[in-house]
Amino acid sequence: MLKIAAYHKPSTLVEAAALLAEEGRTIIAGGTDLLVNPRYMVGVREVVDIRKLGLNYIRAENGWLHIGAGATMRTVAQQATLQRLANGILARGAAVCGSPNIRNMATLVGNVSSALPSADTPPALLALNAEVVLVGTHGERVVPLDNFFVGPAKSVRERELISELRIPLAEDDDLQGGFYKIGRTAEDISMVNAATTLKIRDDTIAMARLVLGAVAPVPLRILRAEEALAGQPATEETFQRVAEIVRDEVRPITDHRATAAYRRKMSAVAAVRALRQAAGLAPHGEEWRHA
Amino acid sequence: MPELEITLTVNGRAVRWRLEPGETLLEALHAHHLKGTKLICGTGDCCGCGVILNGNSINACCMLAAQAEDGDLLTVEGLAQNGKLHPIQEAFAQEGAAQCGYCTPGFIMRTYAFLQEHPHPNEADARAALAGNICRCTGYVKPVAAVLRAAELMQEQ
Repeated sequence: MLKIAAYHKPSTLVEAAALLAEEGRTIIAGGTDLLVNPRYMVGVREVVDIRKLGLNYIRAENGWLHIGAGATMRTVAQQATLQRLANGILARGAAVCGSPNIRNMATLVGNVSSALPSADTPPALLALNAEVVLVGTHGERVVPLDNFFVGPAKSVRERELISELRIPLAEDDDLQGGFYKIGRTAEDISMVNAATTLKIRDDTIAMARLVLGAVAPVPLRILRAEEALAGQPATEETFQRVAEIVRDEVRPITDHRATAAYRRKMSAVAAVRALRQAAGLAPHGEEWRHA
Repeated sequence: MPELEITLTVNGRAVRWRLEPGETLLEALHAHHLKGTKLICGTGDCCGCGVILNGNSINACCMLAAQAEDGDLLTVEGLAQNGKLHPIQEAFAQEGAAQCGYCTPGFIMRTYAFLQEHPHPNEADARAALAGNICRCTGYVKPVAAVLRAAELMQEQ
């Protein structure tokens, strides 16, 4: 049982923001982090349920895909646009997050909100250049996901809720993606994961984003690797050069899942496998089939 | 503790529950004498407390009971009808897909949700469907066989 004094269920965003403005309150949606990890309950006396705010949507509008705070991992994994966009990297990340029961409860926004470096979906969201919409008593502000994560379980979110994530769609036609997770099983938390998006024109990489998870205090864009990819041919030789950079740039720790040395090695492996998918040198999975 | 009150449907019956705000759905089930749903890990990792809420299989240990307000909840107690086991329960018995039996309600409820969506599964589908359910005695060969047999039994009905 959670030791809380009150459970609030606001029906509007304004009401929710007002409730959260007060110290000692936290958000509950899927509940799969909050109810099982005491770290989220430190100093919390009351919870605010945001599931009745009408935020269960995933919809395309004016060149953006909007994913509301109530959308579960399962709905993300099964959403048709997300299964196509950049070879479905976000749908695939959502499809390997936890077990079927967890995916029916946990939300994509919750995965971002918890801000754990090992989360399965932030690498894909960063590779897709997502933005975070934060709502507080001040109103709404939009933060690029690039600037959102600050450290393990720390983000720029103040006494606010994430009302939605949004992903630019305008360029999705020539956006190729790759995603690779290394975990003990697909159900387990990642030891290392990697997501990438590439734009390839005339066999040359015109744009690259490469993000590694579980190897630094935050989901980590490898900017040096992205620079090294740009302008190069999308070949195995290029990717092997990038592997060296990835190995140098990651800052892994040792924990009960893996040693830092293993994570460093596997970072390069995961990055290259994701890049191969994006370049069409390896098939990409369709993990959503079992989501 | 201030109490709150919710209404919901449990196994086809409309009920009214008085709750403490921090009570989990699993704790509320136990408090209302529905003890078929088991507490095993309590951290969302084993799916032993699996129930069906509004058609989706979920873990009752990691949601607040208050969040189930107005919901339609099905637990393992709701499967047998008029003293006759549900075909999934029948299949688990026929295949011997339980040893100590403690995780079995979770397996059965997960199977129920899965077969609603995939009435004709193959073995790989069944394995993926049960991937989150953890059994620490007998393993998974028999539960997977039970899922496939349950699909056949439900087909015959």
